[in-house]
Amino acid sequence: MTFVPHAAIVWFVTTVTMALSSAWLVYDSWNLWRLRGADRKDPLVRDKIFGYVIGVITAVVGIVGVLRYHT
Amino acid sequence: MSNRMSNPMSSSSAARSTSAPPATAPRLVSPYNPANAVTASRFLTLPPFLWAVHHGHYQIAAVAIVVCALLDKVDGLVAKVFDCRSSFGELFDAITDGVCYGFCLIVLAVYGWAPAVAVVAALGLGGLNSVFRAIHIKRVGRPVNYKSYAMERLVGFIAYLVGFAVARYEVTYYYWTFLPLMVVVVAHDAKRMLLDPVPPPPAADGATSTSELVAKEGV
Repeated sequence: MTFVPHAAIVWFVTTVTMALSSAWLVYDSWNLWRLRGADRKDPLVRDKIFGYVIGVITAVVGIVGVLRYHT
Repeated sequence: MSNRMSNPMSSSSAARSTSAPPATAPRLVSPYNPANAVTASRFLTLPPFLWAVHHGHYQIAAVAIVVCALLDKVDGLVAKVFDCRSSFGELFDAITDGVCYGFCLIVLAVYGWAPAVAVVAALGLGGLNSVFRAIHIKRVGRPVNYKSYAMERLVGFIAYLVGFAVARYEVTYYYWTFLPLMVVVVAHDAKRMLLDPVPPPPAADGATSTSELVAKEGV
């Protein structure tokens, strides 16, 4: 049972993944930038920095996956 | 994973004014509230998902997982609108995330839509993380959910993993890239929950420490 062609699904996934990964990359990079002057001895600040770095890596993984699929 | 407790709008003004008199005791929230109802409704997407995968209807499976992911976002919004955020709600949300996405991953692995070894490893790490969280609650002595910024991002990735497998989109790459990230985050969170000092009990305005007051200011 299919509602739309498979190609449409592929392009939908491509578009959504690229859009969200790019937005995620910008958002977590911006979060990291905001924390540049924060006290890194504070565990909460360190948690945030770690989380945002993981977010940036995840976003890059998403973008690379899309590029791999289309090359 | 929705973020039910990270930006408590109602207490932010109290947090800003540290010289203000102590607020009254935190409002008790029933577990039977609209936000938890939305969270629980996510389980209803699982039977259609299983049926769709079993019959090979990948587009219906995709719709089911999209609805599940959207409800994950809606429950946080409902909690804010109805002012029914609670520690239990946050914990229930995290458990529902694990059950829903775990179920979907298992189904996908069983039907050969996702690499079984990667799925088993990811679920094992997720289970280990849950055990660490339970030990953390025992250490702290009250129902508290350790807020892991990194795990929040990986849970979002897990939702995507289900979508990639359903759409058969770079499945091997995404699943095997996810695992090392998961290992690093679980190790980091284990250290924070099991070895680092226990956070102090919450103050009257809901903040637990100076650093949390700073966090509420949005640093």
